[in-house]
Amino acid sequence: MNRADAIRVVALAAQAEMALVRRDEVSGALLAQAARAAEGTSAAAALAEAGRLMRAAPEREAVRQAALSLCRMGLREAEAVTLASSERAESSRNP
Amino acid sequence: MLAAAGADIGVLREIEAWARRAVVVPDGAQIVDAHVHLGIDRDGHALAAADLVADMDANGIAASVAFPADEPGTDGDFREANRRVADAAAAYPGRIIPFCRIDPTRPTGQVLADADALGARGIKLHPVAQRFRPEGDECVSVVREATDRGWPVLFHAGFGARPLGDAFARLIDQVPDARLILAHGGRGDHRALAAATAGHPGVLFDSSIAALPDLVTLAPERIVFGSDRPYGDHAQALHLVGVAARVAGWDDTALRGVLGETLLQWIGPVGS
Repeated sequence: MNRADAIRVVALAAQAEMALVRRDEVSGALLAQAARAAEGTSAAAALAEAGRLMRAAPEREAVRQAALSLCRMGLREAEAVTLASSERAESSRNP
Repeated sequence: MLAAAGADIGVLREIEAWARRAVVVPDGAQIVDAHVHLGIDRDGHALAAADLVADMDANGIAASVAFPADEPGTDGDFREANRRVADAAAAYPGRIIPFCRIDPTRPTGQVLADADALGARGIKLHPVAQRFRPEGDECVSVVREATDRGWPVLFHAGFGARPLGDAFARLIDQVPDARLILAHGGRGDHRALAAATAGHPGVLFDSSIAALPDLVTLAPERIVFGSDRPYGDHAQALHLVGVAARVAGWDDTALRGVLGETLLQWIGPVGS
């Protein structure tokens, strides 16, 4: 995942996280978008499963909680990429 | 429950195992969770002691600091909820470390004394739920009393509108010996909190539902592992610490501290 891809996943997953916290029905769509953006990365499986769960049974509290956990894991994987690439950028500016 | 909702349990198990693998637990490390709510919160979240301990066993968690959910009871002073947490700690000695929960806006002297008699080893305060200011006189008084008893005080420092840096700086000024644990990595106002507390070794941050960029910019000596059960879960909490360790380059000593050693230095040894 390059930095731009990671930022896209971070943005979508962070929106999905807050939508899940607020029980907003848009969370399923945001998770689906985040999962597509994350395809082929370490964040993909968690985000894809979170989206699948929310599409299957969005009204169930246990599902929302599981999706929230998965969403946060996907978000962190993408954040890790942005942080690592920021470090590299800093190092190249300040050798 | 998830299977009934159509979840692919096999996939969930695989992801959970992947999440746990994110953290490579150093040999001999004891994992201690600094942040667990027991009981039934007003918002519907619930966790029973038996379920907590089963999750701890499944995730290699040696012990958990537990305190009441937001269930102040009819008297509003958390007395009954504190007693239930003490009962849970007695039922699982060495696994559940009881903290009491207090509403500083109400009379607290007898509630603290009762909690002490029941074995409490710290206090949880929630400025948003109980609507008080960390730097306010009532809160300062409770923190001072906790400090006199040798107790750490765990503060909610997550979602909330108010700025927190100056508030906690003023609290620390008034009780400089206080030992504070700021929950959720202080994500409610992390940069200001990190700056305001930088010279205070008596302030730690727990990792429960924290933001990764916040954790990796803190010294690991200032971080203690937390899950925020039942709002968070152990696999996700361990994954976060594992990713933070990878990004920040923590060595085994640092990770051992984050996972449990640092907190144990504050609350004393655990184990049945």
